[in-house]
Parts: sequence; C-alpha cells; structure tokens
Amino acid sequence: MPELPPEITLDEVKERARLAGLPIPPARLALVQGFLANALRPIRALDSRAVRTVEPAVTFDAKGGAEVAR
Amino acid sequence: MTAAELCYAGIRELGGLFRRGELSPVDYATDLLGRIERLDKSLNAYVTVTGERALADARAAEAAIRRGDGGPLAGIPIAYKDLYATRGIRTTAGSAVLGDWVPDFDCTCVARLQRAGMVMLGKLITHEFAFGIQFPGHRFPPARNPWNLDHIPGGSSSGSGAALAAGLTVGSLGSDTGGSIRGPAAFCGIAGLKPTYGRVSRAGVVTLSWTLDHTGPMARSAEDCAFILQALAGHDPADPASAREPVPDYLAGLEGGVKGLRIGVVRDYFFEQVEAETVAAFERALAELGRLGAVVRDVTIPSIHATPSFMVIMLTEAFAYHERDLRTRPELYGEVLREKLMVGGLFRADEYVQAQRLRAQIREDTARALETVDVLITPTALGPAPAFKLVHDPDFPFAKSNMGPFNITGLPTLAIPTGFSSSGLPLSMQISGRPFDEATVLRAGHAYQRATDWHRRRPPVAA
Repeated sequence: MPELPPEITLDEVKERARLAGLPIPPARLALVQGFLANALRPIRALDSRAVRTVEPAVTFDAKGGAEVAR
Repeated sequence: MTAAELCYAGIRELGGLFRRGELSPVDYATDLLGRIERLDKSLNAYVTVTGERALADARAAEAAIRRGDGGPLAGIPIAYKDLYATRGIRTTAGSAVLGDWVPDFDCTCVARLQRAGMVMLGKLITHEFAFGIQFPGHRFPPARNPWNLDHIPGGSSSGSGAALAAGLTVGSLGSDTGGSIRGPAAFCGIAGLKPTYGRVSRAGVVTLSWTLDHTGPMARSAEDCAFILQALAGHDPADPASAREPVPDYLAGLEGGVKGLRIGVVRDYFFEQVEAETVAAFERALAELGRLGAVVRDVTIPSIHATPSFMVIMLTEAFAYHERDLRTRPELYGEVLREKLMVGGLFRADEYVQAQRLRAQIREDTARALETVDVLITPTALGPAPAFKLVHDPDFPFAKSNMGPFNITGLPTLAIPTGFSSSGLPLSMQISGRPFDEATVLRAGHAYQRATDWHRRRPPVAA
C-alpha cells in the first residue's frame, strides 16, 4: 500500500465529500481542506507502530457504571 | 457601597450583606434586572431574561436566610449559558434548530444551584451549538465585548463572559470543549474554571463532543468560582462520564497561598504565535507568583505538538451528534457552522482512532510533567479579543489553541486576567492542575488575585 502524502489535496477533499454524501460548496472547499489538513497533520506524521500501547480504552468499575478513561 | 460597586460584589461579600440583613436578595435581583434592561441592549448577552423567576427565587432565598438555613449561595444571582436545559424556559443552544425548544426538565447543574438557593436571572447567548459564531442576520445575534463593542467576547460561552464583565450577573455556567469557558474569561477579563473531566455533570447540557465536553463555573474571581464549584461538584448517575471521586472543601484551603508551590511552564508549544503583550503580561504574572513564594521551572510535554489532532475527535463527535439534522434540515444551521460540522463527516474511522491514541500519549506525557510540578501555567489565548470584522470573514481559520490540550487531558484549568493590551483589552493566563485537584488550581489563582487588581478593573460600558 502506498504511503499517504503529508498534506490533504483538494481532490482528496472532494472525494471524501462525495463518499460521505456531503455537499461542500465549491467556494468552501479550500477552507475545508485547511481544516482537514491542520487536524490530520499530526496523524499523518504518526508512525502508528511506534506509538506506545496507550490505547483509547474504556474501563468499567465494579459498581457497574462505565467510566471513560481519564 | 454604591449601586455600581454593588453589581460587581463577590459572593462572600454579598452573602454577608444578605445574612446581616443589610441587603435584600429581592432588592438586589431587582437592581440587576434593571441594569440588564439598561445595558444589555448594546451587549446582547442575554437571550432570555427570567425576571419573574428571579424575583420568586430571591424571595425564597430571603425567607431561607431569615430562617437561618440559607447556604453560602442563597440569594446569589446566576445566569446560564443557553445550552443548559431549564424546565419551562426556552433553551436555544444559540441555534434555529432548537430555537423554540422548551425543556420539561432542569439539567443537573441547574437543579443543584437551584437547591443551593441561587437566583436565576436568565439564559445567556452561546455560539451556535457551542461552536459557530453567529454571522449578521442570524436568528440569535452575538454578544459583544463590554471592553470594546467592536470585539467578540470570546466563545462559545460568549454571553456568560459579557454579562459577568458588565456586572449583569454574579455567576454563570459555561461549557468548554476546546476553550469555551476559558476563552470568554480571557477576552472579557473574568475568571473561568474548566473542572476535571467528570467532576461536574453534563447531563441535560447540549452536547458538542462527548469526550471533550466539560461544564463549569464562570465568575469574576477564583474565589467565586470556588463557591459555585462547591455546589456543582459530585457524582451524577445521569452523566456516564461523571466521576465518583470525593468532593473536597474548595474554600477551606483557598487562603493557603503559593509559598513552595511548584509551577511548571511549557515553553515551546504554548508560546508559539502568542502576541508580545500577552507574553509580557504572562511573565509579569509568573514573577508575581515567584515573589509570593512559588517555585517556577520549565517542563516539557514531548507530544504536545500533536494537539491539533483533537479537532478530529471534536468534529467527528460533533458530526455524529448533528448528522441527522445536517442532512434533513441543513438550512436551520448558520452557513459557516454547517460547513465546519460537515468536516467531521469527512474523517475516516482510523483517523479518529489515531487521534484518540495521540490523545492518550499527550495525556500520559502531561501526567508525567505534573509529577515534577504542582501546576502548569500557560497563556490562555494567543492575544486579546479579535474584532468582529476579522472573525466574520467566512474564511477565518481555526486558530491554534492553547486551551485544547486541557480538554484532551481533562485536567482542571482556571483562566484569570493578567493585565491589558495597549488597546485596552484583557489578557489572561491559565492554571492547570492534576486530575481532581481543583483546590490547588483555585488556591494559586486566588493568591494571585489577592496580590493584583486586574480582576477588579471595569469596562467602560459598565460605568
């Protein structure tokens, strides 16, 4: 599988919007691209195999309630 | 004390006046309602003023105080961000989507403060669904900053910040998903506490992002935040994230000072893009805390630069909440908000998971930093409040956030004023502590506020 490019392209934004069935007005595509790029930059820079095993676990206490891990 | 001074009095002072019979809670509520009537036309902090309810609450509080069973909040006025469900009172979330919703229940926080004897003045404007600033023509126009009406008061608890700065309430509740308590506190020169995730119930408060949402008090001082937190904190089975940690006495140690307190400063991420005046005010505040006996040292959080990934979590969760309405009645959302929310539908599942893994890494690194110091102190915002004309540019980007890291980590964080810009707008720092250690955060903030008077300065609109 080819590696992901570090930045989101405009074509990728359009493809994601098409797959999600979400109508993004053409005039706003660049803005959306900026939001996506900023949020995803740390993730695209991440080597997922190198992250220590700090998984997003949910823990359960003995009293029966679910507690989101803090 | 003049009427103008009285509208800025703190909870301890007001409580003393009420208990000694020197001031009637009914008269006080009446005066504040009159002040709202006079000043809020230009500020637009309130969506709904609940005058009759306020007077009924005040009469009940006065009777309780006379019987000798009124608590420290009896008769103290409060107003709620319009995300907090209030029985029989419209709760709009600042959006046409919920513009006519009248809940048949009180959310847990409102019920708790009602039981504590607080007097409900009304509901305060919020950015639409705690996320999207209102553009001209919106059904619910935005609040304005009392320090300069051409500038935003911050958001999303915008009405809360404006009302407190203008002396239109004594306390308020805000919500904070990426800085929505601390941002308005910073821009309006007031105090705002985002408690530890799970410390204060979110049941009955309109959601933005489940794993990042916090509820908490806003007031004009750290001490007033402590009073309100005391009545709010504690387990609520109606909020699945609510903690069972015991609730300490937040006022007991408030006067303890900061002698020997170890303060950590993260010098890289939190100072990037921060304006020079904000940094200068921050350094003066650190020096003041040092003079009071605190020990300041630099610390590092290696993964802190991954903070922007929290937008993946926030937007994905927000989209999950809003998807049905976005697809079936998108015209009811503000245009720019609608597009921001839709971004949340463009992330992939693996990206959300990776963002949560990065979040765990940031949380772990921050916890490690807090093994060597008692609190972290950072500039709250990058600069003073921006002008409406800037943020009303539809292409205005998400700014880098100094506040998001403490939503990711869930740590208790207090924003308090540190001075003013050359343009006369408030500046702020935030004090963050270990999980459930609000007491230390509030003690540090209170010590700083005893030594400074930034929180006693009043905006021109309130003169």
